[in-house]
Amino acid sequence: MPASAAQPGDEAVKDPDALLRSFERLGYIADRSLATAVYLSTRLHKPLLIEGHAGLGKTEVAKTLAAVLGTQLIRLQCYEGLDVSSSVYEWNYQKQLLAIRIQEGTQQTVEEKERHIFSREFLLERPLLKSILAQDASPVLLIDEIDRADEAFEAFLLELLSDFQISVPEMGTIHARHIPYVILTSNRTRELSDALKRRCLYHWIDYPSFEREMNIVRARMPGIEEELGSQVVRYVQAVRRLDLAKPPGVAETLDCAQAVVSLGSQRLNAEVIEATVGCLAKSMEDGAKLKEAGIDLLLPQIS
Amino acid sequence: MRQEQSEHLAASIVEFSRFLRSNGVSADTSQSMTALEAAKTIDIDNTQTFSFALQSTLCSSKEEWELFPELFDRFWRESQSRPRSASGEHMGSSRSNTQERDDGSAVFLDQPGEQALAQDGNGKAVYGASAQQRLKKVDFSEVPCNDLALLEELSLRLLRRMSVRRSRRLTMNTLAERVDLRRSIRRSITQGGEPIDLAYKGRKLRKNKLVIFLDISGSMNFYSMFLVRFAYALQARFERVHTFLFSTSVVEISDLLRTRNLPDALRRLSQRAAGWSSGTKIGESLLEFNQLYGRKLLSRDTVFIILSDGWDTGEPEVLAAQMRATRRRVQRVLWLNPLLGLKGYQPITRGMAAALPHVDVFAPAHNLESLLALERYL
Repeated sequence: MPASAAQPGDEAVKDPDALLRSFERLGYIADRSLATAVYLSTRLHKPLLIEGHAGLGKTEVAKTLAAVLGTQLIRLQCYEGLDVSSSVYEWNYQKQLLAIRIQEGTQQTVEEKERHIFSREFLLERPLLKSILAQDASPVLLIDEIDRADEAFEAFLLELLSDFQISVPEMGTIHARHIPYVILTSNRTRELSDALKRRCLYHWIDYPSFEREMNIVRARMPGIEEELGSQVVRYVQAVRRLDLAKPPGVAETLDCAQAVVSLGSQRLNAEVIEATVGCLAKSMEDGAKLKEAGIDLLLPQIS
Repeated sequence: MRQEQSEHLAASIVEFSRFLRSNGVSADTSQSMTALEAAKTIDIDNTQTFSFALQSTLCSSKEEWELFPELFDRFWRESQSRPRSASGEHMGSSRSNTQERDDGSAVFLDQPGEQALAQDGNGKAVYGASAQQRLKKVDFSEVPCNDLALLEELSLRLLRRMSVRRSRRLTMNTLAERVDLRRSIRRSITQGGEPIDLAYKGRKLRKNKLVIFLDISGSMNFYSMFLVRFAYALQARFERVHTFLFSTSVVEISDLLRTRNLPDALRRLSQRAAGWSSGTKIGESLLEFNQLYGRKLLSRDTVFIILSDGWDTGEPEVLAAQMRATRRRVQRVLWLNPLLGLKGYQPITRGMAAALPHVDVFAPAHNLESLLALERYL
C-alpha cells in the first residue's frame, strides 16, 4: 500500500471540530455529525456515502473537502448505462489508427508497434483512472448520484474501492500512488447493494434546523438583512411541512432569498411570495399545492 | 493500564454491534472493525463525537440512521454498567427458539396449532409419493398442521425453479445498436489495422421491475405466510423486486427478504410490521405507498402485484382512486386473490368491486399450483 505523505491540509482536519471550522471558513455550514463522518473518512481512508434529499449540499461536501485539503477534486457523475469506457479509461482509437498508418513504412517490429500504440500517450483517462494516477497528493474523488448507475457498475466500483488499483489489459495493473478520499452521494432512487454500503461510512443528511439554515443563509448571502433572512427561512421550513412531491432543499432557500433580495423588497409579503413560487415549487402540481395551501396561511407562521 | 482500557472499549463496541444487530441494524463484522478503528482516532470522552462516529460507521441506510440515536442511548446510558447482559439476553432468547419454522409461522398464524386442529376434519395429513402432487393443490388455509413443514419446503423449491426458468428465457435478448469501437479496433489488429470485422454493442433488455403489495390483515392470516415465501422466491432471483406489507399502513420488507436465512427474516419481519393482523384499509395503504414510494418505484416497466382478499374496511372511493393512479404509472396491475380459489366466490365485496376495473389480471392465489401458474403474467 502506498504511503501518503503529510499533506498541507492536515492541520485543518486534525479533529472533527477543526474540520467544522475549516468548512465554515469556506462557507459550508456543517453540523457536528457530518463533520465527524468526514473526519473519520479522511482519517481512516474509508469512502463516505452521503444520502439525502436533493439540494442539501451533498455534492458541496466533496468540493469543500477538496478546498480544505488543498487538493484536486475529481468528479464522476453517474447515469444509467455508465460503463468502463466513460468512467475508467478509453483508448484514443483515431489516434491509434493514425499511428499505425504512420508506422507502416518504419523498420519497427510488431511488438514495438504494439507497445507504442498501447502506451500512455493513447490512453484517455476518465475520472476513476485519473484519481488513481494523481501524482502529488490524494485527490478527492466525488462519485455523484451513484444510485443512477446500474448494479454492474456498482460491483465494479466495489472492487476499485477495496484495492485502489485498475488493470488495463494492454498495460498491466496501475496502483494508486495516493489513495483518494472518496465521497459517494445518492438520492436514494434505488437501494444500493449491501456490499457497497458496508464498505462505506454512512451519513444521512437531513433538512437543517432553523438555526443552522439561518447560518447557511448568513454565510452564503452576507448582505442579507437579518430579519428578512429569518423570514425566508421560516417560510421555506413551513413549505417543507406541506408535503410537496419535491420539498425545497437548502439550495432552494438560497434561491428564494436571492430572488427576494433581487426584487428589492425589505420584507416577505404575499406579493413577493406569489412572485417567487417558482423558486420553491419545481412542478406544476407543487406550485398549485403551494398556492392552494394559502399564502395567507403561511404568512402568520413567518412573522 | 491503557491497554486494558482499550480492550474494554473494544469489547463494548463489539457488544454494541451485537445489540444493534438484534435490533435490526445490519452492523456486520467489518463495520464493527471500522468502528473500532474510528474510536481510536477520536476523543471518546466526548459522548456526542463518539455517538456520531459509531453512527456513521455502523449504519448503512436512512432507516438505520434514524433508529440509531435511540439504540445508542439505550445501550450506553441505561445499561452502562451491564452492556454484556443486554446482548446476553438476546442470545438466550434466540437460542430458546430453536424451532425456527414454528417461530416463523407464528408470525402469521396466531395459534397455528389450534387453528389447524379445528381444520383437521377437512385436511387429511398427506404422506407418500403422491404427497407433492396433492400438496400443490391443497388450499393454504386447509393444510393440516403436520404438513406445514413439507409444504413450505416444497413451495420454496418449486417457486425457486420457476424464477430460474424465467431468467434463462431473458438472457438471449440483446440488440445490436452501435458499433463497439473498442472491440472493433482490437479485432482489426489481426488485419493490420483495417477494421473489417465490426463488433457491435447494444443494451441488454432490462427485466421488468416487480412491486409486491401484500395484505397481512386478519382475514389473510392463512395465506400471508405462503405469500411472503412467494415474494421471497421472486425476490431471490429477480434483480429488482420490492415487497411491501400492508394492513392499515405500509411497511417495506425488501431488505429483510434479501437474505438467505428465511426463518430469521420472518422473525425480523414481525418486529418491523406494525398493526400486524388487524383491520384492512387497502385504499389508505395504497395512498400511503403512492406518496412514500410511488415516485421512486413505479414506472412503465413495473409489474404491480397486489396480494389481498379484498376485504376492505376503508372507503371504496379512495381505493378506486388510488388503483387508478397506480395503474396509470405501471405496466400492469395483477390482483391475486386467495378467495378466488373457493367455488362460487364472486368479487362483490365493496373494495374488490371498486378495484376490479383497474386490474389487468385477476387471478387466484390459494394454493401452490395457482402461484406457479402466475409465471406467464410476470
